[in-house]
Amino acid sequence: MSNYRAVQVTKGSSGWGGPLTILPTDEKPYIASITGGGIHPVAAQIAELTGGIAVDGFTNKVEPDEMACVIIDCGGTARIGVYPKLGVLTVDVMASSPSGPLINFIKETNFVSGVKVNNVELTNEVAAAAVSTAGDQQKKSAQELKAEARAKVASMQSNQPQRKTGFIEKVGRLMGGVVSTFYQAGRDTVDQVLRNILPFMAFVSTLIGIILFTGIGDVMANIIKPLAGNLIGLLIISIVCALPFLSPLLGPGAVIAQVVGVLVGVEIGRGTIPPQLALPALFAINPQVGCDFVPVGLTLGEAKPETIEVGVPAVLMSRQITGPIAVVIAYVASFGLYTE
Amino acid sequence: MDFFVHLAEGFIGMFQEGGKTFIGLVTGIIPTLICLITAVNAFIKFVGEERIERFASKCTGNIILRYTLFPVLSMFFLTNPMAYTFGKFLPEHQKPAFYDSAVSFCHPITGLFPHANASELFVYMGIATGITQLGLSLGPLAIRYFLVAIVIILIRGIVTEYITKMMMKRREMQAAA
Repeated sequence: MSNYRAVQVTKGSSGWGGPLTILPTDEKPYIASITGGGIHPVAAQIAELTGGIAVDGFTNKVEPDEMACVIIDCGGTARIGVYPKLGVLTVDVMASSPSGPLINFIKETNFVSGVKVNNVELTNEVAAAAVSTAGDQQKKSAQELKAEARAKVASMQSNQPQRKTGFIEKVGRLMGGVVSTFYQAGRDTVDQVLRNILPFMAFVSTLIGIILFTGIGDVMANIIKPLAGNLIGLLIISIVCALPFLSPLLGPGAVIAQVVGVLVGVEIGRGTIPPQLALPALFAINPQVGCDFVPVGLTLGEAKPETIEVGVPAVLMSRQITGPIAVVIAYVASFGLYTE
Repeated sequence: MDFFVHLAEGFIGMFQEGGKTFIGLVTGIIPTLICLITAVNAFIKFVGEERIERFASKCTGNIILRYTLFPVLSMFFLTNPMAYTFGKFLPEHQKPAFYDSAVSFCHPITGLFPHANASELFVYMGIATGITQLGLSLGPLAIRYFLVAIVIILIRGIVTEYITKMMMKRREMQAAA
């Protein structure tokens, strides 16, 4: 009888992909740990829970088609894609997102990253499927294979008594961890710049180009100056933007606040508006921040439906009061800014 | 013919002006931005979500910390919009106030830490480009924006918590009547 059990592996904090269900079979008994020598604790945990055999894939060659899953510590180029491509369920202990030349093979169904020991959990499925698929004739040889494998592992472990992680390996792994964390951080950053920041810059630059070149700026100065150029005007802007029926409409993506920010910025640059008013202006153009997002934000905070019903009007009403107060505080706080 | 040449030059000129602004933004802001955001992203990964959660959940009891340090930490480490998930540490009647306080910080934080809300940079950056054009440094504006915002999110938190409590009480009265 097979005594394998399935585990579910979920992604760790800031990880990607999954959850994967890992179930070793007689044909695929190995939990391969390819983490620079030694058996990674995550591999040991999966092996213990499933009844599979943890193998150090760094010193022992394991055929990919005998692996129930593979544990890697790849910060993202090579190994991260190799095993998904070979059709092996891949558990990455680093919090990498798909990358590298084999990125197309990395899917949520075959890859999970950022995994720690406590991301591995037993599921209730017993390995019934595995038993039934293995035919009676095959069963014997499979059983032999398993015994053989156990012996192999045992001999390997006795060859290297208690050698799980040596000092050099620890240092190496630490360095690898630091480097791959920075690498991943850089990848996230460039991604963000390309997807969010550059497109908005293109939009803003075009807008500024049109304003500066056509002379619309002069016309706008006449409208913006009396509003954004003194405290009373700023207060009026903040009161209007915070009107409870208007604020949820002005919110989405902060696009309006951003465009108005650019317009005010242009006028500050042209000298129409004194620079110290930048501070109160930042609050005056933005009392509606997040007013469109209240129900979603509260849901993210796991609020009950009754709380959301009360919360939406509560936030909108609060803004009507605190919006103008913010402008006054910022106005006072701007004394001495850019005046010396 | 001359008329059309002028028209074409004017048309192109408009976008040349835009292009100049674009290059200014790209060479002036993006390099620093990329290095800064990379460093902060790496720092956040090193610290790890669990540790932040453990620490942040300790700041919720005190009303001052609840609407200052707690939303600032959540915005810095979880960034917009995941920051609002920290509402789960609070009782129901404080959740709207926390949301209000946290979301009000999602632009002021970008002056110093643009990673927290990189897709909405131009609320601050739009106004900031004007300051840069005047040849003034942005430091004083960014730091004041950050500090003033902390005072304001505290006020917002307290006011919203009060309004929420009032409305909840009124609902209970209505339900009882």
